[in-house]
Amino acid sequence: MSEPLIECRDVSVGYDGKPVLEHVNLTIEKGEIVALLGGSGCGKSTMLRALTGLLPPLSGELLILGKPLYDLELEERNQLLRRTGTAFQQDALFGSMSVEDNVALPLRELTSLPEALILEMVRMRLFMVGLPGHGTKAPTSLSGGQRKRAALARASILDPVVMFCDEPSAGLDPAVAATIDETLLHFRSALGITLVVVTHELESIRTIADRAVMFGRGSIMANGSIDELTNSKDPEIHNFFHRVAEKLDDGGALEQLTR
Amino acid sequence: MSSGAGTTVKRSKGAALVKLRGDLVVATTRKVWNDLKILGRRRDVRTVTLDFSEAGRVDSSGIAVVSLLARQLERSGKKLELTELSDAHKAALDLMPKQEPEAEKAEPPPGALERVGESVLSAAGATRSLGGLIAETIRQAFAVATRKKRLPAGALLHQIASMGVDGLFIVGMLSFLLGMTMAFQGAVQLQRFGAGVFVADMISVSMVREIAPLMTAVILTGRTGAAIAAELGTMRVRSEIDALTTMGINPVRFLLVPRIAAITLVGPALSLMGMFIGILGGMLVATIALDLPPIMFWQRITERVTALDFLHGIGKSLVFAWIIGFAGSHLGMRANGDASSVGHATTRTVVVSIFSIIIVDAIFATITTVLRYT
Repeated sequence: MSEPLIECRDVSVGYDGKPVLEHVNLTIEKGEIVALLGGSGCGKSTMLRALTGLLPPLSGELLILGKPLYDLELEERNQLLRRTGTAFQQDALFGSMSVEDNVALPLRELTSLPEALILEMVRMRLFMVGLPGHGTKAPTSLSGGQRKRAALARASILDPVVMFCDEPSAGLDPAVAATIDETLLHFRSALGITLVVVTHELESIRTIADRAVMFGRGSIMANGSIDELTNSKDPEIHNFFHRVAEKLDDGGALEQLTR
Repeated sequence: MSSGAGTTVKRSKGAALVKLRGDLVVATTRKVWNDLKILGRRRDVRTVTLDFSEAGRVDSSGIAVVSLLARQLERSGKKLELTELSDAHKAALDLMPKQEPEAEKAEPPPGALERVGESVLSAAGATRSLGGLIAETIRQAFAVATRKKRLPAGALLHQIASMGVDGLFIVGMLSFLLGMTMAFQGAVQLQRFGAGVFVADMISVSMVREIAPLMTAVILTGRTGAAIAAELGTMRVRSEIDALTTMGINPVRFLLVPRIAAITLVGPALSLMGMFIGILGGMLVATIALDLPPIMFWQRITERVTALDFLHGIGKSLVFAWIIGFAGSHLGMRANGDASSVGHATTRTVVVSIFSIIIVDAIFATITTVLRYT
């Protein structure tokens, strides 16, 4: 195996000098689909911001394709980021452009391909994500699931080596969520794109992910195959995978009063 | 490897065999496409065969080249064949979209008459919804005034502070400077006729009746009207206004009544302050530069400026304040969808407000002149 695609060595991430996650050691190989999991507020989105070049880590080394993302000159860093794609939780489509122009934007800005080829690539991508014929519409006229798929099309248009997806199927109906899972699998099988997916959807994790990395208690809590994590003895991981409700502390105020 | 990318073409009797060399990726497809496009247009070529035996990696742009060529040839009744595909090529080319019906045809652009009709209709719709908004605001304000309903705690004070207190300095400063400028300019002209003392009349009347209300309105438009539109527009885009509606809270009472009430108080108040400070500026110049003692200046003012003049100025700035408040609210509430609609609402608020303010000002001037009240 050549060098890993993504490597985090003892990385801490957080805001204003206060770490949310510490001592994160993580390696992602080419061709993997890795799910980043964890309860709300565990720091997985913060980690994703660090991986996508939006939030410099507080300490540690973060390598993408063997290069230290945050130590590069601006132009070099942009070159590196162009080989990654990011699909945001809120689709982040530009409202002032049509779906087609949104998807074509990276091609128009970053390549010198002729317009006919660009339009054909966009058509192909929209077909792949199941939105054929929606190119001329405004993003606001699409449904939530369609917008997420358009965002996936935009994130993948440059054939990135790795794609980061923040909750690609959250809040969508099961059928649409399954379509998105399928699209992600298709991206890997057909274009060889490595995927790092932040998600809570157990169903989707089981369908697509080779491996899950679970964040919690301020760092990585578990890292292994889905089966390993499902059968984990750790109560927190067990609860997550078996949808056991957290015991809420009711404070016992009523008991105190009625005693 | 990609540096040697290109095509070799062999032609024989209406058929062309194209050997693809090297990677078909973003960096190389432009050239390959140009070669193939020209080949596809030739009348003597009926069948094009792409030989992939020496082709390297194929990315999305490479797939697009093949797909586009296939469609181009199909349109002119020609054939495309692919040979010597490796498994990787097959996997990639499998992504070619099937021939789909073209996206639904966009409607033909409307003709001139249609456009005129549409703009009239949309203007009528906008006027109706503005009317509705004003009526609802008055109804809600009345309900609040009669203590049937309440404003959100602290909202009115907060609005007054952000519109008024923060605007004190700029209105004061500009009125002072304008008063001074007018005194300088007017004095030069009036002194030529030995009428330098009338500079007091000129400054006080124009300040009270015109300059202070107008300038306050312009400042309020830029500072407050734009802010109202941007704030409400963002709330609309982020569904915050819908959230209020679904909670059963009237958004007009919650958001508009405090803003309109605040601007109703702040507009005339700032304007009144502007009048006095402007006159003060004029007085300063008259004293220093024209040797006109302040007492005399003041005497001229009290003789010349009547309560009716103040009423005229204050009344006008009240109307201006409402124009600004309702323009900002109406356009902000009508923003929809994307980020640019908020910017659009803000710009339109400024343009519409200033435009309407000048028109209303002209109407005021005409009416008062016709009524012979000077």
